Amino acid sequence: MLKREEWLDLARDVDWEPSYVSEEELFPPEIAGRPWLSREDWAGWDEPYKTSFPEYVTKQHEKDASVYAVRDAVGRVEDYEKLDPAWANGLKLHAATLPLAEFAAVIGNLRAARFGRSSAWRTMATFGALDELRHTHIPLVVMHELVRWDRQFDWTHRFYHSNNWVAIAGRHLIDELLLASNPIEFAVATNFVFETGFTNLQFVGLAAMARGAGDRLFEKMVTSIQSDEARHAQIGGAVLRILRQHDPAYAQALVDKWFWRSWLLFAVVTGFTMDYFTPLAARTLSFKEFMQEWVVGQFLQSLEEHGLQKPWYWETFLQSLDYYHHMVYASAYTYRASVWFNFVVPSPDERSWLRQKYPRSWGELDGIWERVSERWGQADPDNDFAVHGTAIVSFCDLCQLVLSNGTPARNSAVVVEHAGKKRIFCSEPCRWIFEHEPERYASHNEVVKRVLAGEAPANLVALLRRYFGLSYDDWGKDAYGGRYPWIVRPTP
Amino acid sequence: MIPLYGFLEGDTIGLLILAQPDDTIEMLAEKLQASASVRVAPRPRVSVLHGKRVLDPGGTVGRSGLTALDRFDVVVERT
Repeated sequence: MLKREEWLDLARDVDWEPSYVSEEELFPPEIAGRPWLSREDWAGWDEPYKTSFPEYVTKQHEKDASVYAVRDAVGRVEDYEKLDPAWANGLKLHAATLPLAEFAAVIGNLRAARFGRSSAWRTMATFGALDELRHTHIPLVVMHELVRWDRQFDWTHRFYHSNNWVAIAGRHLIDELLLASNPIEFAVATNFVFETGFTNLQFVGLAAMARGAGDRLFEKMVTSIQSDEARHAQIGGAVLRILRQHDPAYAQALVDKWFWRSWLLFAVVTGFTMDYFTPLAARTLSFKEFMQEWVVGQFLQSLEEHGLQKPWYWETFLQSLDYYHHMVYASAYTYRASVWFNFVVPSPDERSWLRQKYPRSWGELDGIWERVSERWGQADPDNDFAVHGTAIVSFCDLCQLVLSNGTPARNSAVVVEHAGKKRIFCSEPCRWIFEHEPERYASHNEVVKRVLAGEAPANLVALLRRYFGLSYDDWGKDAYGGRYPWIVRPTP
Repeated sequence: MIPLYGFLEGDTIGLLILAQPDDTIEMLAEKLQASASVRVAPRPRVSVLHGKRVLDPGGTVGRSGLTALDRFDVVVERT
């Protein structure tokens, strides 16, 4: 009788040598990925989390039961009504972006479950696919109750099927990361960079804030998801180890590309929620401090362990920790009707906190909120368009997000001519990613190019309604209608 | 019409500005400042840059060397 550990090693690596087709026909490099290595090269593939199917199912059942127990206890609309109104907007951001991205990750894992080059890898990717299916279900089930409470939660189900600018950016990232990547790129990009590098920020850091905000269900949901992520993320390091031995330059390029792309996504989704939507009393650390702890420190250590360098744009990244999500938030506040959740103006106490947490940048950003407050002082409450932009904003040809990188003193956007067509990139890393694989990105148009081509309307309200798929009831507004105790309005 | 990417010093985002060839560079700066005014109060003394080149405020967009989808910057004049 084998011991459990011996059985797991044997069972997960059951394999056979093909006799009717060649190894290359069974695993074509176009789908399995390059470098196309021999079977022997992949033979040492190993990762530390080992489980069997019965163990997996038993454990997942327990975890699901635990999430649903919390939902039954504190998941009613009346429970959400007790939470800070700003916090709900972080939930709307997650309700839109999370479930179908997780579903796309099912497909990425299934591709690895078929075309991964080691049998053990294929077995673990099968569990990974089941994990991601669970991560699709949980937020859909947990937040479904909120659809009847607030129309914006209903709109989150339309999100990825719309041409909303955030959805375009989300699809551009998710389609490439999870649906189009071969198993090698998927393992490095998703399992190693995205899940090892970034998801602790979300599932550990944000979970702590959810607890502070009184949202026990969100806390439970993300910590339950994280327990799966921690397991299947190990696939990434195991693939990277072999890739690094055979093609170190490609391994480094994949890490550099996907670290930047992941950073931009997390800066918006997690950065907004941590530094603007979480009640001040519940903010244990700033987004930047979480990034420094969970990403900068730990991720650099992981890179070192794999013999890789920090990405070439590291100084740019460190600067963007102080600026990027603040610049996007301030810009998005003044274009809030272009999204499906509401925004808040940071209060004087919150601005003091932000100044303390971001001493390098807040001095350049605070004036924006002074100006926004001044504009609200001149407007009637609820007159959102009095404090709203009207010009069409511009978007990056790579990440599809707004051109809000660099600093307010010097925006880092750069125009480049490629194949006779001008492109604009929010930053040098986005430009580098595009120029590294232009054939992958060149046919995709950002929103401005669609407007100029006549595919989308140039009038802002028409763009919101007809192209972004929003109506007045759905689109983002100031969460308090501009009624802030510190805003002084002239007495009539 | 010439679509241009405008960046105002002190602002947090780039904006699409639709200029006419006979708009003066001063008018171009005014258009960008008006478009960004919800975030940044318009400043009276500004310069317009195309790359590192300072554009003549009285010259026109059509003769300035700016072409469709170029970047221009509006920066505060420092005396």
